[in-house]
Amino acid sequence: MNLRMIGCTHQSTGLDVRQRLAFDGTQTTKALETWQHRFDGAEFVLLSTCNRVELYAASNGHPTSPTSDQLIDELLEFHSISREQVEGQLLTLTDHDVVSHLYRVAASLESMVVGEPQILSQVKQAYQSAQDIGATGPMLHELFQSALHTAKRVSGETQLHKHRVSIPSVAISELASCVFETFDDKHVLVIGAGEMAEETLRYLHDAGTPQIHVVNRSQEHGQQLAEKWDGTYHAWDQLWTQLSLADLAISTTAATEPLVTAADFEARVVPHRHQRPLFVMDLSVPLDFEPSVGEALGVYLYSIDDLDLACQRNRAARAAEFPTAEKIVLQETERFASEQHRRETAPVITSLRAELEKPKAAELKRLFNKLPDLDEQTQQEIERFADRLVNKMLHPPLESLRDASQNGTPYGLLDAVRRLFRIED
Amino acid sequence: MLSGINMLCFSASYAIALGLEIFGLWNRIQLRRVALLTMASAGVFAHTWYLGVRVAETPDAPLASHRDWYILAAWALAVIYLAAKFYYRKSSMGLFLLPTVLGLIGASRFASTVPLATFQAPRVWGQIHGLFLMLGTVAVLLGFVAGLMYLIQSNRLKRKLGGGDRLRLPSLEWLERANSRSLGAAAFFVAGGFFTGILSLLARTGDQNFVPWTDPVVLALGAMLLWLLVAEGFRLVYPAARRGRKVAYLTVAAFVFMLLALGAVKLEDSLHMAPTDDLSVEAEVAL
Repeated sequence: MNLRMIGCTHQSTGLDVRQRLAFDGTQTTKALETWQHRFDGAEFVLLSTCNRVELYAASNGHPTSPTSDQLIDELLEFHSISREQVEGQLLTLTDHDVVSHLYRVAASLESMVVGEPQILSQVKQAYQSAQDIGATGPMLHELFQSALHTAKRVSGETQLHKHRVSIPSVAISELASCVFETFDDKHVLVIGAGEMAEETLRYLHDAGTPQIHVVNRSQEHGQQLAEKWDGTYHAWDQLWTQLSLADLAISTTAATEPLVTAADFEARVVPHRHQRPLFVMDLSVPLDFEPSVGEALGVYLYSIDDLDLACQRNRAARAAEFPTAEKIVLQETERFASEQHRRETAPVITSLRAELEKPKAAELKRLFNKLPDLDEQTQQEIERFADRLVNKMLHPPLESLRDASQNGTPYGLLDAVRRLFRIED
Repeated sequence: MLSGINMLCFSASYAIALGLEIFGLWNRIQLRRVALLTMASAGVFAHTWYLGVRVAETPDAPLASHRDWYILAAWALAVIYLAAKFYYRKSSMGLFLLPTVLGLIGASRFASTVPLATFQAPRVWGQIHGLFLMLGTVAVLLGFVAGLMYLIQSNRLKRKLGGGDRLRLPSLEWLERANSRSLGAAAFFVAGGFFTGILSLLARTGDQNFVPWTDPVVLALGAMLLWLLVAEGFRLVYPAARRGRKVAYLTVAAFVFMLLALGAVKLEDSLHMAPTDDLSVEAEVAL
């Protein structure tokens, strides 16, 4: 197993760095193609969400396999960021830790809002994107498939996902409700038409019957989302008008630069609002709203990191389920590791068996030639005897190999077996 | 046993309820809410009983004297608090309402117990005048409390400290509405109190020209009324003034005017004092 993960998460890295390291769809494709070309034979998956940017790499130990430092350099080079700017903020994991981390991520144990379902589809999407351009291979395929399996187990065997929670649901129930008594008559503006926007609308729909307005660059996606939730689609150039009318604005675009600057907001929105309260949830990374927009009178601007307190309360409320979930992750991590080690020992075991089969077959042949009068039943009995003898002789070394595999690939033992029995690769 | 109920009983109940509200900032165990509701209910019950006894003993009570007037205003706020506690189960409104209730009860200790002249003749104008001003005061105090909560809630949200289990305040939308309505109600009741006071004075003196416009009480109440009318007009005409912080500031300013009016009544009240020979009619109110 040669697995690596480098990246940043909301736990260890601030929003300012995360938004600089974030990848949109086009950038992801470009980056994966570059790295695939640069590190021949290595496999890559890039997971970039509002809370994390993580690059997963697997290789078979080939000399061109990337090291963690090289991966960090590649990531930073892509965004033209120097090492000093992210000093101490990047996470580096290898082998088992990578497996355990990905399982926890997929099961939403590492999420800001524990139990939120979006992360699982984001993990699937990340893998699918890498697969589409041929950046993955058997190692990451197995890792990500097992991560999805683990997430399903956690979801099915614990209460963590019992009540549908998400970042938008926590933001609305904990914070927007501090501003608005009801959402029934509110003008809700959704900027962007991604999954997070849909999740927001799903929760708002349950919380009341607001007037929904969608502004999106892509008319097709915007209209689809608006129609699905009985809302109205507006062309992108209506953004400022809609912001002037909105009570609650949720921004979830993948724009790489802020869409709403403080200067624009002051000039194009503030004069029309008459200080009417506006609650803005900027769930995008990089941010869609300049933070200084929140200084305007009556504007309450929350970015993803500002939801931290509310998310901690959510986490505390679900703390009782953590031990069960952690146990599942541990079991699955051990299973994955055992499976990997078994695969590495399997060729030696097969060769060993083959090496002993050869003299057995030769000796049986010689014996049957010497005793041609043996009836068929006796011959079969002798063959069974030989099989049992070989199996019994193989049993102790195979057991030792299996036991040693529990704690990692037993390279020393494998080498000893190869040398003792003269097994060639 | 109930005959022994006095101001100390309900004041202590409210004080314990306030202590439990403060305790809720650190810990929100279920028992606290039960204890809080019990103490607040006990306080309102004792308070109501006390006022009932006063009405039975004194025909003009519960608005017979300045002290009665304060205690009745405190009772109205305590009832509102108890109702709010059932409606907004987890709200921390008591942190703001209960000190106001206790403040009014405390102020009553320094208020005059001499029967008010306005209740002597004709009785109906005096009753309406006292009631209007009492309701106006309650409306101003509610507006002040809502305004204060609005400013705190708005500040917490700006500093990204919204939500949370400890200090739970109503939504800004609710507080803004409560603010606006209390301002409107205060303007209405204080105007009613002001004009019925003049009518009461005219009816009592029988002199059409006897309106002491320069009297400190009339001046202070007039200034408060003027402020409330201007604030209400400002709120209706200027859209931004209907929004949270502006209307919160208007109600906070109305509270300051109310304090000035109450101060004037305490220090320079000659209008509500009965002539010396009339005092013999009513004994000093026993409390």
